[in-house]
Amino acid sequence: MSDQYRITLEISRYDPETDLSWVQTYHVEAGGILRFVDVFRKINDEQDPTLAWSSSCEHAQCGSCAIMVNGKPLLACELLVREAVEHFNTNTFRVKPITIAPVLRDLVVDLEKAYDRVHAAKPYLMRPTAPPEEGDEYRISPEVLETYVEATQCINCFCCATACISSHHHFMGPNAAMANIVRLMDPRETAREERMDLLYGESGVYRCHTARACSFVCPKEIDVSHFLALGKEGKF
Amino acid sequence: MGEGLTIDSTLTCDVLVIGAGGAGLRAAAYIGEQRPGTKIVALTKVASPQKSHTTTAQGGMAAVDPKDPADSPTFHMFDTWKGSDCSADQDVIKKVCELGWEEVVWLERRGMHFSRTEEKRIAKRPFGGHMLNFGETKAFRACYEASRTGKGIMDTVWNESLKYGVSFIGQCAATELLFKNGACIGAIVFRFPEGTFSAILAKATIVATGGNAKMYLVTSNCRGNTGDGLALALNAGLPVLDLEAVQFHPTGMVGPGILASEALRGEGAILRNKEEEPFMERYAPTAKDLAPRDLISRAIIQEMREGRGLFHEGHKAHHVWLDLRHLPKEVHEKKIQEVSSFFKRFVGVDPETDLCPVTPTAHYQMGGIPTNEFGEVQRDGQAVVPGLFACGEVAAASLHGLNRLGTNSLLELITMGRVVGERVVEYLKDAKEPDGLPSDAGHIIFDQFAAYLGSQGGESFAHIRDTLRNLMMEKVGIFRTEKSLLEAMEKLRELREKAQHMPIGTASLRANQNLWQIWELNNLITVSMVIAQGALARKESRGAHFREDYPERSDEFNYHTLAYMPEFDKVTLGERPIDMSIFEAKGEHCELFDYIERKY
Repeated sequence: MSDQYRITLEISRYDPETDLSWVQTYHVEAGGILRFVDVFRKINDEQDPTLAWSSSCEHAQCGSCAIMVNGKPLLACELLVREAVEHFNTNTFRVKPITIAPVLRDLVVDLEKAYDRVHAAKPYLMRPTAPPEEGDEYRISPEVLETYVEATQCINCFCCATACISSHHHFMGPNAAMANIVRLMDPRETAREERMDLLYGESGVYRCHTARACSFVCPKEIDVSHFLALGKEGKF
Repeated sequence: MGEGLTIDSTLTCDVLVIGAGGAGLRAAAYIGEQRPGTKIVALTKVASPQKSHTTTAQGGMAAVDPKDPADSPTFHMFDTWKGSDCSADQDVIKKVCELGWEEVVWLERRGMHFSRTEEKRIAKRPFGGHMLNFGETKAFRACYEASRTGKGIMDTVWNESLKYGVSFIGQCAATELLFKNGACIGAIVFRFPEGTFSAILAKATIVATGGNAKMYLVTSNCRGNTGDGLALALNAGLPVLDLEAVQFHPTGMVGPGILASEALRGEGAILRNKEEEPFMERYAPTAKDLAPRDLISRAIIQEMREGRGLFHEGHKAHHVWLDLRHLPKEVHEKKIQEVSSFFKRFVGVDPETDLCPVTPTAHYQMGGIPTNEFGEVQRDGQAVVPGLFACGEVAAASLHGLNRLGTNSLLELITMGRVVGERVVEYLKDAKEPDGLPSDAGHIIFDQFAAYLGSQGGESFAHIRDTLRNLMMEKVGIFRTEKSLLEAMEKLRELREKAQHMPIGTASLRANQNLWQIWELNNLITVSMVIAQGALARKESRGAHFREDYPERSDEFNYHTLAYMPEFDKVTLGERPIDMSIFEAKGEHCELFDYIERKY
C-alpha cells in the first residue's frame, strides 16, 4: 500500500495578466494511490500556490477536471499516480489544459462557449408527447430505456470533443450531437423534424469522420460513436 | 474600504438565483414556466449548472404515489418526524411529503430518465428509515435513476431552465447581499475569470448555495461546498438555524471520502475492525450493519478510540474495513457495480478480493438559513425579509430537524425549490425594481479582499486549512463534549486571525485560485464557529448531534437553535419553536407525532 513514486510534471502555464505562456516543471514525491487532483493540491501546498487547476466533485460525476496528460484527454480525479506510471510507462507527464476551450489561467479553461454547443443541441424535451390519461408518468419499458440510457450518463467533460478530429472545425462535437440523438431516441419527444434539422445541419453529425476517438477516451465509458452511427443511419 | 476594488458593472433582473444546483434551478424552472418573460439570472461557482454537487447524489428521491395501495404520505411523514429525532417542523413535513409525487411526475414529464419496472412505471427501492405502517416493514419509496439520481435531477432542472431562457453565469460567487429599507435587492458578485465585481440588482433573490462540509477532514462534499451562503447570511446580520446538526455518513472511502452507499450493507457487506471482528454485533445486536447512520458512525469512532482501528499509509488516515468479499459474484457485477468500481478506481482495492478501507465522512448540513414553510427567509425566526428566499441544503425550513433520512434531501430540494418558485411568482406581482445600489455597497467584501490581497504572510493557506479540518473532525465531529467544543472555539479564534493574513501567491485578480480559496476558507471558519457555538449550547444528544457529556435527548431542548454572528465570534443565540401542527390537529395517529422515543 505504501508505494511511493517520484514523478515529474511538465505543466502548461498561462498568466492572463501578462499574457505569457510557459511550461513549468514540478518534481513531486507521491504515493501511488494519490490521484492527479491530489498531486496538484500537493504542488499548491508545498511548492507553488499559484498553479490553477479545476475540479469539483472529484469522483468523475461532474467532469470539471478534464485535462490532457501525455496527449490524452482524461479526468484528473480518476488518474491514480501508480496507474499513470503504468499506463504511460513513464514517470514524466506533460500536462496541458483541454484544447476545446480558451485558457483562463494554467489548466483552468472557460467552458462557456463549449457548453453553448450543448445548449444549441437542445438537451431538453422540446415538445413532449401528450401526458398519459392517468395523469401520472409516461410509460417506458426497461427495454426501450436500455437502448439509449448509456448516452444519458454523459457529464459533458469535453474529453471526447478534445480528442475529436472534427470538433475543432465545424462539427458541434460528439457530446452535443449525442445529446440531440438521445432525445430522438426518447419516446416522449415529438419534435422530430427540428431535431433532424439539427442532426443533419451544417454542424451536424455528418461532420463526424468516424475516427471513434470519442468512444476510446470517454471517462464514463459511453460508446459515443455508436450513438453517432445511429444518428447517421437515422436509426432512432 | 478596499483600495482599488470597485463595482465594475451593474446588472438588473427580476430574479437572482445564487447557486444553480437542484433547488435553485427547480425554483428558476418553475418561475420560467409559470411566468414567461421573467428575467432570471442564475449564478454558479462551477463552469456549468450541470456540474453542481446535486449531480453526485446516488440513491433516490423519496416520494409516495397517492395511488399506491400499500404506502401513504402519512407513513412518510411519520418516518421523517421520527428520523429527525422529533426536531423537524411538521408543517414542512406535511407539505413536502404531500408534494413529493407531483414533483416526481414533473421531473419525469420533463425528460428525466428514471429507472423502470417491467410494467413501464417508475421503479422504487427501499432505503434506511422509510417504512410502511408506522415502522413495521420497509417501504419501496425511493424513485431512482440507476445510481445517479442526482444527475438525472440536475440535468432535468438545468435543461428546463435553459428552455425558459434563464441566464447562467458560471465561475462566480455572490460575496455580499444588498439591502434597502430592510428588503433584499440583490448581491455583489465576484467573477473569477475576470476578477471583477458586479452588482446584480433583483426584485427577488434566492439563496441556494448548498452545503458546507469542507471544514471536515473527511467529507463526501465537492470542492466548492464551503458554506458561502451561510456566511453571506451571517455577514448580513441574519440568523442561521441548527448548524450543529451535521450528518456523518458511516462509510466514506478512505482518501477521497466518496460515499460507499448504504446499498452495500443492504446487500450484506460487513464492517470489521483491526482484528477483523464484525463489531456492529456488539453495538446493535439486532440491526447490526444496517443500524441508523448516526449510530454506526459513532460505533466506528469508538472502535478507533479503543485501538481497534487501522491506519492507511497512502492516505495517512484512520479507518475500519468494509468487507464485501463474501458477496456473490453477480452482486458485485450487477447490483453494486458502480460503487465497486469507485473502490477499484479511487482507492485501488478490489472489493471482490480485498477488504475496503472506510471511515465516517461529513455528508450533509441539516441546518441552514431559517425559512418559513414557503421558503421566505426569516430575520428572527418569525418575521420575513422581503425579497429574500432560500431553499436546498443551505436552507432550513426545516424538513430534517437534527437528522435526515436518506433520499429525503433530493425530495426536499425539488419540492422546496418549487415552493419558493411559487412564492416568488406571487411576490413579483407587486415587487418594484430596486432603485440603485445602497450607498455602502461593497463595504463587506472589499474589506475582506483588501486584507487577503495585501497580506504579507504568516502561516500558509494549506496549514490553516489542514488545521481547521483536523480540528473540526476531532472536536466538533461525531462526538462532542463541552471541553472539546471550548478548545475548538479557542483554536478557531486563532485560525480566524491567521486566515486574515495568509501569504498569497499572486495579487492578480484574474482567475486567482489562491484568492478564491482564501475567501472560501474564511467562510468555512465563520461557519465552523457557529457550528461549535450551537453544539456547546445544545446540552443534549439528538439526531446527529451527540454530546458525550449529555448522551440523552432532553425535552428542555425541544426547539431549534437560532444563531447570529454579524461579527466573527460575536454570537447571539436564540430559539425557534418546533412546529407541531400535525400533532396539534388532533387527527388520526396524531399521538405518533408527539415527542416519541426514537428506536429502530
